[in-house]
Parts: sequence; C-alpha cells; structure tokens
Amino acid sequence: MPIDHWMMFGTFAEQRHFVYPAVDTYRGAIINGNMAAYAPDGLAAFLLEKTASLLYIVDPLTHAFQHDPDFITDKGGEAKSSIKALAEIYGEPIQGTVGKRPILPDDFADNTVLRGFVRRCLHFQSRRLADLMANSDAMKYLEEDEAPVLEPYALVAPYFYMTETTYEDWLDVGVRAARHAKAEYPDAKLFASVVLSQGVILDERIRTAIVRALAQEELSGYLLWVDNLDEQAAGGAELKGLLAVARDLRSGGTREVINLHGGYFSVLAAGVLGGQAMTGVTHGPEFGEFRSVVPVGGGIPIARYYIPALHARVRYRDALRFLTAKKWLDDTATFHRSVCNCAECLETLHGDTANFVEFGRGTVKDVRRSGGIVRIEYPTTATKLHCLRHYLQRKAREYQFAATASRGLILDDLRRGHEEFKKVVGLEGVSHLSLWEKTLTSPVA
Amino acid sequence: MSRRRKSSVKIVSEADLVRKLAKALSEDGYRVRSEVSNMGQSVDMVATRGRWVTVIEAKMRDWRRALKQCQGHEQVADFVCVAIASMRVADELLRTACARGYGVIHYDGKKGEFGWALRPRLNRLVWVPQRRHWARKMKGVALCR
Repeated sequence: MPIDHWMMFGTFAEQRHFVYPAVDTYRGAIINGNMAAYAPDGLAAFLLEKTASLLYIVDPLTHAFQHDPDFITDKGGEAKSSIKALAEIYGEPIQGTVGKRPILPDDFADNTVLRGFVRRCLHFQSRRLADLMANSDAMKYLEEDEAPVLEPYALVAPYFYMTETTYEDWLDVGVRAARHAKAEYPDAKLFASVVLSQGVILDERIRTAIVRALAQEELSGYLLWVDNLDEQAAGGAELKGLLAVARDLRSGGTREVINLHGGYFSVLAAGVLGGQAMTGVTHGPEFGEFRSVVPVGGGIPIARYYIPALHARVRYRDALRFLTAKKWLDDTATFHRSVCNCAECLETLHGDTANFVEFGRGTVKDVRRSGGIVRIEYPTTATKLHCLRHYLQRKAREYQFAATASRGLILDDLRRGHEEFKKVVGLEGVSHLSLWEKTLTSPVA
Repeated sequence: MSRRRKSSVKIVSEADLVRKLAKALSEDGYRVRSEVSNMGQSVDMVATRGRWVTVIEAKMRDWRRALKQCQGHEQVADFVCVAIASMRVADELLRTACARGYGVIHYDGKKGEFGWALRPRLNRLVWVPQRRHWARKMKGVALCR
C-alpha cells in the first residue's frame, strides 16, 4: 500500500519543488490557512498551473489564535497581515480578539457562536481556492477530461493545541466543532486536526481520552502534529507515544492519519514495518520534519547534506568529516555506491568527488551583533538548491522503499546505517536507527 | 611560536586573547587572519607560514567548546590548535588534544606570556578540494596588524 507523500507549502519561491523529482511524487500540498487568506490568487495559480494533479488541504490554522498574541503580531502590536485576513474571514469570536488576547474555550461555550465559526471556517477551506481556480483563465483552455479536482482533498474542522493541562477544555471544543462540521457538510470528507504536546502522547490515559472522544464523531481522518517532535532526537517513550496515538486514530484502518511533520520514523510507521500506522506523512521542501506549535526563530541558515544511510540531514562540515573518514569521497564510483546515486548527486559530482564542495559553498557577509561586526557564512543559492534537490530525491525513495520493501530489507537498511557510521559519528549519532527498529518491531499493545 | 612571548596587558576577554595571540604570532613571522569563515563556522585565527596553515580556536576557559569547533577544521588545516587563558591547562584537554593531534597554547596570566602546553602534529585528515576552496576564500580576508 503506497504511503501518501504530502508536502507543506511554505513560500512561493518553493513552488517549483512540488514537481521534483517527478510530477507525481507528491500526493498533495498542505496549505496554511493564513496564506490561503492572504495570497489566494497565487495559490490558485500554483495548484492549477504549476502542478499537474496535486491534491491539497487547507490547514485552517485555528490554533494560531489561542497563543500569546505576541506570536501573531508585528513590532507595532498589530496582527500580521495574513493572520488578520484569516481572522476577518473567520469572524467572531476570532476577529474581535485577534492580536489582543488569546482565544479561550469559553469563547466557544455558546453553540451558536461555535457553529457560525465552523461554518465560515469550512466554507473558506472548500471555496476560497476552488472558486478562484474555477474562474481562472487557465480553466478555459482545459479539455473536460483534463479538468482537475478543484475542491480540497478534505475539510479540516477548527482545532486547538492540547497539552496535559489544557486538553479537557480544548477537546470539548474540538469535538463539538467536528460535530458541527459534519452537520454543515454531511457529504464532505472531514478531518479533525490532532495537535498535541509531547506530554500528551506520553500519557496513555490522556491519549486514550482524546482518541475515544474523536472516535465518536463521523470523521474520515486526521491531521496529526506532535509539538516539536524531532524523531532523531526523541526517546523511545515519545516514539512509542506517537506510534500509539497514530494507530489508535486509525481505528483499525478505517480512518486516515496524515502526520503533518514527520521524518523517516513516521514514513516507516506508515509503511510495511509500522503496519500502516499512518496513511501519509508531510514534510516541507526545506526539511520541516518537526516543528514547534508556537513559532520559534529559524537561526542562521546553514548548508546541510542528507546522509541516506543515517536518514539524517547533517551540517555540511560534519557530512564531509564523516564521508572522508569513511574514504567515500576518494572516487565517484565509491561515493555513488556507498553514499548516494541520486540524479542530483550524479549531476553535481559530474565524475569528480572534488565537486562535493558544491553542497557546502557559502558567501560571507558582515553582520552587526552586540559585540561588533561578525562575519557569517551563508549558503549560496546554488548550494541550497543542490542540498534541497538531493534531500527531495532521497525522501521520494524513502517513501517508496518503506511502502514496498520487505521487512527484512528495511531492517537491514537501518542496521547497515548503524554499523557503517557508529565508528565515525559515535553511538549517539546512530542510536536513532536502532531505537526506530526497536520501537517499530515491538509487539503492538 | 618559536619562543615564549610576553604580553604586558592583562587579558580579560576572548577578544583580548585573540588580539594578543595574533600579535605574538605576527612577531614570530606568521601571517594571521581572524574571524575566517569555514563551512558555516568562524575560525578565531588562521596563521600561515610558508605552505603550512594553522587554525586556532581561542577560549578563556571553555576548552570543550573549542575542541568541538576544531573538529570542523580538520578537513582544511595542517595544524589545529586550542588557545586557552585559564589558570592551568586541564589534563583532560591535554589528553583529548594529544589523541586528536591538536596543539594547546596556554596564556599564563601571571607571567603575561604564551607558551606551548602541547605542540600539534601534522593533520592527515585534510580533504584537498575543500582546502583549495577554503584557501581561495581566505585570501579575501585582511591580515591582522
């Protein structure tokens, strides 16, 4: 069974990557609601003209209104333009509180208020981009049999982030929102978004309470997002928790589960090894395999090369250290046999491993800091593109491999990465591979 | 450094340490550059003499961080060194540096002079294409005066 490969739409500069390495690599794009509210024309053009038959889901991003307004306001204290546009579409109680105070469960205590909000939220998702596409010039030139599906793949009921201390209040709102959504759109494919803290997935009692409450509602599936869960750094308890909540949400395979931010562990969980614990996994063109619910700064960009055997994206200088230690940069035949033979690596190396430097080139800029001017190296545009294309090539292979290879081959791959690299990166650098194997091969409780 | 170098000004910060050491190395005939970028890191000092390139990470006390930063320079430098201005040189620093072939330069605050706590060995991990690429970029960085 194939694993649905979803990609998160981040910026318009990245839209060309949605047809790379092939036009049919991705099942669909996840589009943030604020972008759909603020730049709908561009997104409609992207879906209709830049991709062949990409499905899409508009993430309504309703959780953005429950956090400290500092996260969604600009320096002047005004709500950011895209968030403001979304709030205007959603109406009350969002519109009146955006940028002023966090929205609270009490704001949705009145069912009439909640139902109105749910109706506007779903109407926005179902029509905003679909209508623009339907009325676009590009549609006039399409034959009837070429006409793409204009509506989103699924509608997502308004949702809020749940922690151990807040889940009881927010779960009630989420469940009622799902019920209203079904009443408003009885024939639509309806998803709930389950956005959880790591504490929640570690607590079986809370996990079960959330899954049971949602299981009562008529839903086709879920978007799942565990706050800042870096699968490479996570402990066994967190990974088991993620796996357990995904399996429970699947309801015996009757409901879809798309992990909004997942890495190779999630891909394996969705495949043969994990017994299809998820139906799809999303990442961004620029990685995005884990993400904080509350946005944090991005830091200084740095060139990173995805090491296929480690299933990890590492800093270029570390990748270089590892690969030279393994003597895998001695000649291109060795490199392509031992490291990567994707189209991007073949083209970039072009028969000479000296060209591996292309994955790490940078330009130095003077940056003013509190201690004075410092020189900081930023990856060049070409370097970023090489790293990104190599990453996307490998991700496409990983989804295919996890879905179609035998359990034995998948486990061999994990063990080989562990053995090959433990002497150069140390046990800490490879332990995620053995932990993934252990977690995914443990008997299901 | 061919001999111990005296410094009359008290060193109170990492920037002082870099400045003083750069001066001492320049007097010994090295061409010294500071804050040279290397694969996303900034090297505190790069000292060249003839065809040999030495990189130095300077720290007042945090030698563990210096050792970590040095790892990233193994692909480009002939000699890799840590400069430290702590009261004494930790045994663990000397052991780890010795195992990796790094040198350790110690600034003795009482005497106001730099000296070798451990001399570096020639680094065999240089990857020539990266070294060439880095050397070309380094030429654009001004020498310390």
